[in-house]
Amino acid sequence: MSFFTADLISGLISNFIQFLLILLLAPLSGGIIKKVKALSQKRKGAPVLQMYFDLWKLIRKESVVSDTASWIFKATPYIVFAATAAAAFMVPVTTLVPSAISGDLLLLIYLLALGRFFMCLSALDTGSTFGGMGASREAMISALIEPSLLVSIFTVGLISGTTAVDQMMNTMKAVGVPLLHPVYILCFFAMIIIILAETSRIPVDDPATHLELTMVHEAMILEYSGRQLALMEYSAAIKQLIFLTLLVNLFLPTDQLVSLAGISGAGAAIPAVVIAAALALYILKIILASLVIAITEISTVKFRFFSIPNLAALSFILAFLGFLQYFVLGR
Amino acid sequence: MDSYFDILSALILLSSFLLVSHKRIKSYIKTFRIQSALIALTAGIMGIDSLIREGSFDILIVCVIIVLLKVIYIPRLLYRTYGTVEYKVEKDFYLNIPLLILICCGLVVFAYFSVSNIGSLDGAHLNLQVVNSFSVILIGFFFMISRKKAIGQMIGFLVIENGIFVTAFFSTHGMPFVVDIGIFIDMITAILIMGVMVTRINEKFESINLDKLKNLKG
Repeated sequence: MSFFTADLISGLISNFIQFLLILLLAPLSGGIIKKVKALSQKRKGAPVLQMYFDLWKLIRKESVVSDTASWIFKATPYIVFAATAAAAFMVPVTTLVPSAISGDLLLLIYLLALGRFFMCLSALDTGSTFGGMGASREAMISALIEPSLLVSIFTVGLISGTTAVDQMMNTMKAVGVPLLHPVYILCFFAMIIIILAETSRIPVDDPATHLELTMVHEAMILEYSGRQLALMEYSAAIKQLIFLTLLVNLFLPTDQLVSLAGISGAGAAIPAVVIAAALALYILKIILASLVIAITEISTVKFRFFSIPNLAALSFILAFLGFLQYFVLGR
Repeated sequence: MDSYFDILSALILLSSFLLVSHKRIKSYIKTFRIQSALIALTAGIMGIDSLIREGSFDILIVCVIIVLLKVIYIPRLLYRTYGTVEYKVEKDFYLNIPLLILICCGLVVFAYFSVSNIGSLDGAHLNLQVVNSFSVILIGFFFMISRKKAIGQMIGFLVIENGIFVTAFFSTHGMPFVVDIGIFIDMITAILIMGVMVTRINEKFESINLDKLKNLKG
């Protein structure tokens, strides 16, 4: 019984609260991006909270399933949601509170890949042409972007000596301003391209289109409706927030500012004000990152599908150069 | 101070990778302009440093010359040359872009293994800066042989020049002023002659694709 110490239980509780925060905030970043895009086109746009309303509406509707669909089609939304939620459980929103479960970044990436694998299967399952096309494109994009994702993660992991997410974030916190360091700035740029590709944003895939020539992610979830569609869209939003959280917490750490201003070594008891300030900074950073993505979406066009390898090669090179700079420079 | 130069050298290297990944001549010129602006920034920081420490204006003057010459005048000249030649959509490179980028990546690794064995370069920062800027020279050479059209090859030449300048700059922290001026004069002469050549090639062969120079004109 000594396994369940007070530390473990409080750590679990803080993990759970951070997990709930990610689940709650997930639809918000998509809303911000849509609002900024609408404002740039002189439209009023949907309210920022529109995705919450949409999800609520979809959850109460019944879902229609094709006669030819097998069990994979029905199980996929739950598998995708479970995998994404498990991945969200590993991402610390703030490093001030020590977490009980430190997730491994590789596990996180491949949990998301598991979700994507089942999404591709279910898209093939109903036998519709759009689904098959979307699945093949999605598989190609993910195969192209995976090397650069892994190399950039490994570079940061090599420096911090671990692939546990919270310890990597702690290492970056000790660096201070990582963007003033040649290794991290290259990995940061690589990560931005990776996020655009992974969360199906504009240079790679247009999230707002249903044009058969261009859609990738939308083509895969085209057959879903009702509650299942809600789960799929919600998982996509959570995945986007996971990547944004990784980006801002790894490359723009702000927790050290808060702890410097607040306690500076007061030990175990961390005042609630400090944690609230850290969370406020986190939300601010997420809004900032969403703005960056929105501006990228406004200022670029969608690439031709066969130009995506160029983008992927560029992001791989960014990550690899970062690795090489680490190699040349040493720590 | 050194960490700023590290970042700038990494960004200069990155801009030459961007150059390789572009398809169109206008984007080459734009990226060349960005690279030159980064070099001018480097020279500016170094110039202010030397002004404070030694009270010499040399590097600041070099910085101003870079801005005038490489950021404003030469790109404008290239745009004008590009405007006079007939526009044709043609594939400008021999290999596809991901392969080009990966070969350039191999060049950077080669630069690392060849430069890091030089004994007189001590200090990790200097090593990093020289590796990055030496890779810019190699990428410039590679860019030059991988493009078919004359303007692309001119840009390759300019990138080689940028790389040599940056390598010298990082390893010596400012060359003698006369040497810098000599290099700039050489470069601008070369670019003017090349610009005239491109126009003449275009008049004779109705294209600036240098592959077509093999054809006989009766």
